Amino acid sequence: MRLIAFLLLIAVPILGVYTFMTAAEHNWWFPPAYSTFAPDIDWLFNFIMYMVAFTFIVTEVALAWFVFKYSAKRHDKGVFTHGSHKLEMIWTAIPAVALLVIAFTQMETFANIKFASGFPTQGRFTREKPIAQVWASQFDWRVRYPGDDGVLGTVDDLEAAYEFVVPVNEDVVFELRSRDVIHSWFVPEFRLKQDALPGHTIPVWFNATKEGSYDLVCAELCGWGHYKMSGRVRVVSAQEFEAYQADLKAKWFSNGKE
Amino acid sequence: MRIRPCLYALAAAALLGAGCQLDLASEPADPVVHYSLSPTTTALDEAGEPLLPLAEQDHIAGSLTMLFGTPSNPRILRTAQWVDDGFDPNWPTYAADDNGGGEFSDEELAAIKADNERDFRRELALIDAGKFDDVVLPSWMPDLRARWSEHLASKAAEARDAEFSAEAKALLVDFYPTLRDSAELYRQQCLHCHGAEGGGDGPTARFLNPRPRDYRAGVFKFTSMKDKSTPRRVDLYRILDEGVTGTAMPSFRRFSQAEIHGLVDYVRLLSMRGMVERDLVNTYLNDDALSAEAVLESFSAIWDKWSKAADKHTEFDGAVPAPTKESIERGKTLFMDAATGNCFSCHGAEGRGDGASAFTKHPETGETIPAYKDDWGNEILPRNLRQGIFRGGRRPIDIYYRVKNGINGTPMPAAVSTMSDDDIWSLVHYVGSLSEAPRVRPSSHSKANADH
Repeated sequence: MRLIAFLLLIAVPILGVYTFMTAAEHNWWFPPAYSTFAPDIDWLFNFIMYMVAFTFIVTEVALAWFVFKYSAKRHDKGVFTHGSHKLEMIWTAIPAVALLVIAFTQMETFANIKFASGFPTQGRFTREKPIAQVWASQFDWRVRYPGDDGVLGTVDDLEAAYEFVVPVNEDVVFELRSRDVIHSWFVPEFRLKQDALPGHTIPVWFNATKEGSYDLVCAELCGWGHYKMSGRVRVVSAQEFEAYQADLKAKWFSNGKE
Repeated sequence: MRIRPCLYALAAAALLGAGCQLDLASEPADPVVHYSLSPTTTALDEAGEPLLPLAEQDHIAGSLTMLFGTPSNPRILRTAQWVDDGFDPNWPTYAADDNGGGEFSDEELAAIKADNERDFRRELALIDAGKFDDVVLPSWMPDLRARWSEHLASKAAEARDAEFSAEAKALLVDFYPTLRDSAELYRQQCLHCHGAEGGGDGPTARFLNPRPRDYRAGVFKFTSMKDKSTPRRVDLYRILDEGVTGTAMPSFRRFSQAEIHGLVDYVRLLSMRGMVERDLVNTYLNDDALSAEAVLESFSAIWDKWSKAADKHTEFDGAVPAPTKESIERGKTLFMDAATGNCFSCHGAEGRGDGASAFTKHPETGETIPAYKDDWGNEILPRNLRQGIFRGGRRPIDIYYRVKNGINGTPMPAAVSTMSDDDIWSLVHYVGSLSEAPRVRPSSHSKANADH
């Protein structure tokens, strides 16, 4: 019985390490990174994960060691203590420093992804004007392109359901909006997640580095149909993007004989 | 040892699990499920007696099963005449018109095939690699899955050659769902709002405003049809493909074209079934009898309505005119003119959906309440035209259809017959201009920034 208990106990870390080491080949790890800032996010993720893993191992080994060392067999008498001021200082200071390290390390990446889109007119982006407005609503995604005049919110705006088409290798800024409740735009390949808030127009940017069609999902529980609130982001060449806009325009101004 | 009871519990749970598994496996096949009759058919009169004798209700239910099958095996009855003509109503080559009413054009067929190739790209790659047994087809394609296993069983794994692969690929590329396939997809995607019979009464329906469509009346709001006609296939396709903005109806573009066409087939079946049911109830109430001929007559009359829907399509030839300052002005005049447009009386002078005739006072409490109800008995308000939300679509031609034909099942009337196309387009342009976002002038704050 003791042996079984021991084997079960030891199986947990072994399975854990095995899962971790083989995750990539089983496709249990992240999807490929297809935006300019995706590698930064992955680097931050790994940085924090290794930090946490190190802490986890140290504390678990210490815990196991204490369980062993201070078991009733070896220490039948407890000691009354008021605690150690020094020890408390140490275990407060170390996490505080760790948090500060994380905070300063991520600052530039976060600012680049979340704040830069608010100031697109400072020569940062290849395309400064919003390429589209993406509307989240219960339970689908709709995209509104500015049309010929390049201005959103006018009569000649073009609309498309489900699919957001963007040019590859370009800094794409779009306005994220919600019609009803809080939704969240999430494209795993771009490592880009942004809440859509009703009443807010939130500028978001990304630069997709590979042509293809990627899942766009809602990452905020938005109601009973949340699970089916899916869309696609299709990344195409610049020429294809122009062709798509022309095609969309032709369909938009169709006379109903489709 | 504390761990022993835990292990016993674990073993007991495993045994229980295995027992359940066995139970499930030995369960008999699903009993045949029938479509339910609509609540109006099974309604009781004031004395608490059924409006229709129970025997007559059974008769109607049986007739409907004969005509439209069951949820697990839906199919439209092939009359003797159709068998002679070699015509099968269960495939979407319904009518010999090419106006979006029935038959697919070569282009459409090619588009469906290309879409299947995209949708099945993983499966087709597996076939190319010879990994036939790794192909898993979606659960909502029972008939295709059956044909697939049949095909696999037809040749032993060693004997599979290029021809076998080509046939396997053709199965997927030429896929068009049967009504049984589509009914399965409907069960998974649509039933929870629209209900098993398409009555708009699924479990989630009561949480929604507006309520999901009840197909059984054959009334669909956002179509291109005049005279309150039943819709064409393309009208229904468009709703499934685009969704209905401002409602809980999402776009289903994530499914392949074949699958959406299949859903259209199934919605048509449910709608026809509901219409026939209503018709049979009325026939019985009028004649006090319901003969087999009357059932077939009602079926063929309603079939005709659907298959000839394309005749009622509103044609617009020529290019969609672009808005000009004059056309928007003209639209505004018509909007405010009581004799022609008269739009303002419901939609309000500023198009905010707050016109005087859309509201009334509650007879007892004196509260302001909507004046109108739609065909389904729900209170209805005129659209606020300034929000940019147009349920039937925001394209100019969509708004043109709404103005020209009205909205089926609602108080929104068709345009007066004297109104010219130019006038209708002027209204379209004016309505479009209402939902333009207000121009935001640069605030003094940003101006100050620019100066410094």
